[in-house]
Amino acid sequence: MGSYIAKRLLRSVLTLVIILTIVFILVRQMPLEGYFPNFEKMTPEQIKNGLHSMGLDQPLPVQLYHFFRDLITKGDLGTSRIYRQNVPVAEILAPKIPVSVRLGTMSLIVSLLLGLPMGTLMAKYKGKFFDHFGTGVIVLIEAVPAAVYYLFIQFYGTEALGIGMTMLGDKDFNNWQYWILPVLSMSLGNIAYYAMWLRRYMVDESTKDYVLLARIKGAGEGRIMFRHIFRNAFVPMVQYIPTSFLNTVIGSIYIESLYSIPGMGGLLVDVIKKQDNAMVQAIVLLFACVGVIGLLLGDLMMVALDPRISLAKKGGDK
Amino acid sequence: MSKNILSVRNLHVKFVLRGRELHALRGINLDVRDGESIAIVGESGSGKSVLNKNFIGLLDQNGFIPEGEIRYYGMGDKLRHYPGAGSDDNGSYIDLTAFKKKEDWLRIRGSEICMIPQDPMTSLNPLKTIGWQISEALLLHKGMRGKMAYEETIRILEDVRIDDPRRRYKQYPHELSGGMRQRVVIAIAIACSPRILICDEPTTALDVTIQAQVLSLLHDLKERYHLTIIFITHDLGVVANIADRVAVMYAGDIVELGLVDEIFFDPRHPYTWALLSSLPQLGMRGEELYAIRGTPPNLFKEVQGDAFAARNPRALEIDKRELPPYFEVSPTHYARTWLLDPRAPKMDPPAVIQKLKELGKEETHHG
Repeated sequence: MGSYIAKRLLRSVLTLVIILTIVFILVRQMPLEGYFPNFEKMTPEQIKNGLHSMGLDQPLPVQLYHFFRDLITKGDLGTSRIYRQNVPVAEILAPKIPVSVRLGTMSLIVSLLLGLPMGTLMAKYKGKFFDHFGTGVIVLIEAVPAAVYYLFIQFYGTEALGIGMTMLGDKDFNNWQYWILPVLSMSLGNIAYYAMWLRRYMVDESTKDYVLLARIKGAGEGRIMFRHIFRNAFVPMVQYIPTSFLNTVIGSIYIESLYSIPGMGGLLVDVIKKQDNAMVQAIVLLFACVGVIGLLLGDLMMVALDPRISLAKKGGDK
Repeated sequence: MSKNILSVRNLHVKFVLRGRELHALRGINLDVRDGESIAIVGESGSGKSVLNKNFIGLLDQNGFIPEGEIRYYGMGDKLRHYPGAGSDDNGSYIDLTAFKKKEDWLRIRGSEICMIPQDPMTSLNPLKTIGWQISEALLLHKGMRGKMAYEETIRILEDVRIDDPRRRYKQYPHELSGGMRQRVVIAIAIACSPRILICDEPTTALDVTIQAQVLSLLHDLKERYHLTIIFITHDLGVVANIADRVAVMYAGDIVELGLVDEIFFDPRHPYTWALLSSLPQLGMRGEELYAIRGTPPNLFKEVQGDAFAARNPRALEIDKRELPPYFEVSPTHYARTWLLDPRAPKMDPPAVIQKLKELGKEETHHG
C-alpha cells in the first residue's frame, strides 16, 4: 500500500512536469506584441530591453531550466510582469486560493448531501412518482445550459433573499447569505450527476443475488437499501467524486465573476489574454495538482470501500 | 406419521407477460411433513422454483395467485390476528397467500422459512465480511449483538465445517472458494434458525466432490436443527441421496408423489418413466441415451387433459381430453394418470423401468 502510493506519487510528479513543460513552451509561442500594451510606439531597443527583463531573450531550454530550478530549489513560481507588475505570483494567488477552495468544498458538501439521498430515494421508489419527478429535474438541469439557470438563480434568488446581486467588499463576503446562491448554482450540476448515477447503480445492484439472499434472510427493505445496496452502488461512484470536485473548482470561473467572488476562477483566462507567462504556469500547475490528487484520492477511496480491490500486488492472488 | 408443517392447496399461479397470461402453476396440492426432506423434481420451466418462491413471498412482480392456499402451521396461532389465520384438524395455520404487505413476510422469511439460493458465487454481499453477514441474521432474528453474536457465528461456522472460523470470520466472500461460499450461505440460513429450509438446486454450481460434501452437511444439519428441507432439483442423484419423499412436477402440476423408493423402483406416471429412462446411469453401453421427445406444453394456452399426453407415445384417448385425478398406488404414493384407472388397458412400463423394479425387489430382499 505504502509503496503503491509512493510509486503513484512519483508518476504524478512526472505528469506534472510534462504538463508544465508543454504549457511553458506553448505560452512562449505567443506573439511578442502581446507582452507590451503600447507595442506600436516602442523602439526595437525598448522591446529588446523589455524581453531581457522578462528573461524571454534566452534560448527556450535555458528558460525552462531556470523555471524548474527556481521552482524546485526555492519554491519560486516566478513574478507577475503584467497582471500586477513585479509582484510574486505566490503573493497574488495566496489570498485567492482559499476563497475558491471554500466555494468548491461547500458546493461538494451540498452536492453530496442532496444528490446522494435523491439518487437513493429515486432507486427506492423506482417507477413511482418521486423517480419520475427526479428524472425530470435531472433532465432539466442537464439540458438547460448552465449559464441560463445561473442567471436565473442570481436574478430571482438575490431578489428573494433581499440581498445585492454581487458581493461588495468584506461585509458581504462574510455574510453567509451571499454564499447560498453561488454554492447552489455550482452544486446543481453535481447534484443531478450524483443522483443520476447513484440511482442507476442502485437499480443495477438491487437485482443482484446477494440482495435476494438479504431478503430471504428477513432483512427489511430499508436495511437492504442502506446496508446492502447503497455501499455496493457507492463504490463505482466514489472515483468520480474527486474529479467532479475538480471540475467544480475549475467551473467556478463563471460563478465567481457573476457574484464578484474574489477567487481564482476567472484568473486563468485573464492572465492568458494578458500573456502573463508566470501567472499562467502557476495556475496551470495548481489545477494540474488538484487533478492528479483528485485521481489518486478517487483510487484510494475505492480501495478503502471495496475489499476486492487491492493496490499492493500479492503474488498469485487473484 | 408426523404432522404437516406446510400444506399447499389447489395453488394456481399466473404471470402476466406482454398482456398475456401464463398459467405457471395449475392447481398444486402438496403436504410437507414436519421434519421430512422432500424433493421436488422436474425439468426447467416445470414450476418448481415458482412454487417455492410462493413460500417466502418472492414471486416476481408480474406473478399473482388467482386461487389456492398455502397453509403454514409452524407458528401455531401466533399470527391469529392476521387475515389468513385459521385452523383445521392439523392445527392452527396462517395462509401465506393472504399476505398483502411486504412487512408481513418479515414474520416468515428467515426465521420460519429460509432458502438457499442457487448460486453461492453471487449470493454473498461482496463488501461485507463473512462474519458480518452471518451476524446480521443473528441480529435480525435473535437480537444478538457484540461478543455474543461473534461467539454464535463462530459456532455456526464450525457447524458448517469451515476450518479456522476465527480467521474466516474476518474474510470477504472473494477470498473463499465456491464450496466454502456455499457453506457460508448455509451458515446464514442456519443462523436464521428456520423451521423449513428450501434448497434451490443447492449443488448445481459446485463440482461433484464438493456436491457430496454439501449434501452430507445438509443431511447432518437437518438432524441437528430439526429442519424440514425442500429440495428443488433436476438431479435425480441428489434426490436418491437425501430425500424421503419425491414430488415429480410437469408443466406446473405435480404428476406423481411418493416415497423415494416408490418413485425410483415403482414409478407409475409415464412422465416419471420417461424421466428415469433418460438417466445416463441406466443407459446401456453402445445404445443411444433415451431423450423425451417434443417440448413441454405452451402454458399461455389452457392445457387439455394430461399435460404430458402430447409427448407420451402410449397416451390413451382420454389423456388428451380429460385431466386424470390422483390415483392411490399406496397410502404414500399417488400418480395422476389414467393408466391407473381400473378400466385402462394393461400397459407395461418401458424395459428400463421394469429393470428398476427388479433392482428394487433385490434391494428390499437384501436390505
